[in-house]
Amino acid sequence: MAGEFSADQIEDFKEAFGLFDRVGDSKVAFNQVADIMRALGQNPTNKDVKKILGDPSADDMANKRIDFEAFLPMLKTVDVIQKGTYDDYVEGLRVFDKEGNGTVMGAELRIVLSTLGEKMTEPEIDSLMQGQEDENGSVHYEAFVKHILSV
Amino acid sequence: MKAAVLIQRWYRQYAARMEMRRRYTWNIFQSMEYADLQDQIKLYNFLGYLMDNFTPSSSERNLISHIFRDNEVCRDAEWERYFNYTNIDVPEIYSGPRLTFPLDMDQAADLVEAFKNKQQLHSRYVLQLLLETWKLLRVLPNINRVSTCHSKEITICGDLHGQLEDLLLIFYKNGMPSLEKPYVFNGDYVDRGKDSIEILLILFAFLLVFPGDVYLNRGNHEDHIINLRRRSLESKRYGFTKEVLNKYKLHGKRILKLLQKIFSWLPLVTVIDQRVLIVHGGISDTTDLALIARIDRHRYVSALRPPKRKTPSRTNVYADSERYDEMIICKNRRGSLTFPKPFGARESFQRRSLQDFSSTVARTLEEEFEVRRRQAEFSMSRFSKSHRSLSSTLSSDSEPESSELIDTGNDEWKQILDLLWSDPMPQDGCIPNEVRGGGCYWGPDVTEDFLNRHNLQLIIRSHECKQDGYEFCHNRKVLTLFSASNYYEVGSNRGAFVRLGPDLVPYFFPYQATSMTRGLSFPQNVKRTEHTALKVLREQLFVHKSDLLRAFQEIDKENTGLICLNDWASAIERVLHLDLPWRVLHPQLVSSTTEGKLDYQGWFRDLALKKPSSEHIEQTMLETLYRHRSTLETIFRIVDTDNSGLITFEDFRQTLKLLSAYLKKEISDEVINELVISTDTNNDGSIDIDEFMEAFRLVDKSRLKRGKSLLKLMQDNESLPQVTETPQIVYSTAPQTSHCPASQPADPPASNTTDSACLQTANTPASQTADSPGSLTEGCPASQMEDLCHITVVVVPPQ
Repeated sequence: MAGEFSADQIEDFKEAFGLFDRVGDSKVAFNQVADIMRALGQNPTNKDVKKILGDPSADDMANKRIDFEAFLPMLKTVDVIQKGTYDDYVEGLRVFDKEGNGTVMGAELRIVLSTLGEKMTEPEIDSLMQGQEDENGSVHYEAFVKHILSV
Repeated sequence: MKAAVLIQRWYRQYAARMEMRRRYTWNIFQSMEYADLQDQIKLYNFLGYLMDNFTPSSSERNLISHIFRDNEVCRDAEWERYFNYTNIDVPEIYSGPRLTFPLDMDQAADLVEAFKNKQQLHSRYVLQLLLETWKLLRVLPNINRVSTCHSKEITICGDLHGQLEDLLLIFYKNGMPSLEKPYVFNGDYVDRGKDSIEILLILFAFLLVFPGDVYLNRGNHEDHIINLRRRSLESKRYGFTKEVLNKYKLHGKRILKLLQKIFSWLPLVTVIDQRVLIVHGGISDTTDLALIARIDRHRYVSALRPPKRKTPSRTNVYADSERYDEMIICKNRRGSLTFPKPFGARESFQRRSLQDFSSTVARTLEEEFEVRRRQAEFSMSRFSKSHRSLSSTLSSDSEPESSELIDTGNDEWKQILDLLWSDPMPQDGCIPNEVRGGGCYWGPDVTEDFLNRHNLQLIIRSHECKQDGYEFCHNRKVLTLFSASNYYEVGSNRGAFVRLGPDLVPYFFPYQATSMTRGLSFPQNVKRTEHTALKVLREQLFVHKSDLLRAFQEIDKENTGLICLNDWASAIERVLHLDLPWRVLHPQLVSSTTEGKLDYQGWFRDLALKKPSSEHIEQTMLETLYRHRSTLETIFRIVDTDNSGLITFEDFRQTLKLLSAYLKKEISDEVINELVISTDTNNDGSIDIDEFMEAFRLVDKSRLKRGKSLLKLMQDNESLPQVTETPQIVYSTAPQTSHCPASQPADPPASNTTDSACLQTANTPASQTADSPGSLTEGCPASQMEDLCHITVVVVPPQ
């Protein structure tokens, strides 16, 4: 979470930015900005990104485009947002650990993820949870978090 | 709640990173595909060179006449006799479909079912089916005309490339062709996938049963020379020719010959309701449907062989072995006819395209190379979608008028090439398509003009792989449709088909053949695809090692052996022109950096290369051969006229010699001899093409480690040359017996890079001799074969 990005970093970002440019005009659409930020290691919520973009309408999100020079300062702004640590995740999940045995019910997690916060879609949840639930449908959350943070 | 948000955020980040990986993987594949196409161009150039510069020595003349041997032009009656199938008996035990003609719907459906169950159609029926197909195709016009009357919806499919699974999926989702369900298939039925012949048979069967409701367009792969090539992207994938010969050992050649004819008789385009054009590649600014309707399409057998001209004054090139003299006359005359504009202005912008085999008379090969390189730069930078370099290249030369350079006598030829090979581009204009070597890149203005002129409203084409199976461009006036899912690698892309009703609004149906992807999650798919892409990329890096090294050393003036990441990235881009995000990729390609600097020598070692010490020459030579392996292989296969898989010493030697002259790189007799000896394992004076090509299998370090342990076992048994002792790229001079090749290198290599695998050739000693215990090839699952394919090519250092 450095204040400034180094020249090298900026080069990296620029390359990645270029990957998302499907049209060839060295710009990306508003609705891609969040993804690019995430690809570059940031972790903003969609709401965060919208605010940074100046609260665009749905139409703007799909049609308006932004070039790298305008994107970079936004990236800087987002950089300041706290990223979750291992403990944060585990703490948060422990809330659901009814029996205090290190597991949470997969089903419950699914419901939470799909109804609270910035809701996830079912395919997204499936993808996330794949291979994490044991025979009883429980998720060992410490392992889960390790898994999350390792990929 | 907090946890939920955290996880969600994390997940989205994960997904985004996956997406990025997917994208650059996709870019890699696309770049590789274009690199592969460059191979094709090399082939054309080489053939063109041969035609221009053959020497009259008799032995070489034989070889060249081999290469350019024309189809035996027989009259129809002779053809019928040649393809007589009636004397082929079908054994009792044959359990596949037994076709009776005329075919009916049920038989066609049975055929599909049979292929689904992995059965093979007996060659007798194959020939019969093909004959009937040929008879039908001959009476079809160049332009299929279809109408959506009676509220019929027409289904349109793009490239299938031998992927039977996708065709079956389409039939499953959409139903098979019938009177109520007309289909248009847009070319490229063969090559790459392993069931090309089955796809053809199915399509032809339905064509015969429903001639008014099934329409086939010709694609650029419906071309027997293209079929000869082995795709370099996946070295295990064979071209169509090989597939047929493998499946039909006895009658394969006849089948292929018949298919040659059939391909040339496939219609060129299809028009629906006089409003929608369906063509495989695309158009150019000179495309004229009226002209196309009139030409004799069957005279254009292969993109690599411009049609014979009757009069030498026509400015076209002969591809006929018996008319060398005329060729020379033609060439000399052409000097004045071909280039209407002042020579100087055009010179730098000249290109050798499929239409124009012969280079400018004055140009040396070296200049040719320079032009090639610049063109590659030109085409690659264009491909990067950054128009800046494009326009600057263009403005420094003359305007890109593709038709200018084309011989006027070549009109028809060009028309067909444009139809089958062109690609759309975002910018206005129309420029020759150097990446593919034929056809054009055409812009939205050309589309607009073309549609207006012909009163059309939409062009549907294929030819390019698209992520979702289809993609619009040019203001939704051009639709690219691609029906081979998982084209580059499992999970790489979807396929799609399209339905058009009388309203002519396309409805899309994307899909992905899942038998391979079943059970793999999206991330796993991405990882797998990525793995393949990177492997291919490393290969490319290896091939250009000398150039890269030079580039690095230019930057590293103090010879520290280190180079910073930025410079590394830009140097690679300069050499390879692949327009890939090297910085993003570098963690995958470089194992470690210290303080942001990269030890490039070490990096090369990691890439399974050796130090460029005294063996520099051999290394370059091997690289050269490796770089041109595609060309070499194709030439071998052309020369191998009986399709036996073997060519004679002489032909082999001469091909290499010709290549050597063409590249202006010395391939000495000595080296050729060694190559010959090392690959002639049958000791009968002939060379197995496959074996020779196996030689150019790149082994990377990690796999070498796995393979080495196995190899060690063998070595203990057979005293094979120790891999560890021979990291150099060298040529074995010993006859291949089960005992180790007698000549271990006289001096052990100076470098002690025991781990560096090198470009190693297939380990024939172990695999060829029958009495070698536990030979490499036996009992090795296919995937491991690659690991174990190394002969150490042992050089006898120059004495």
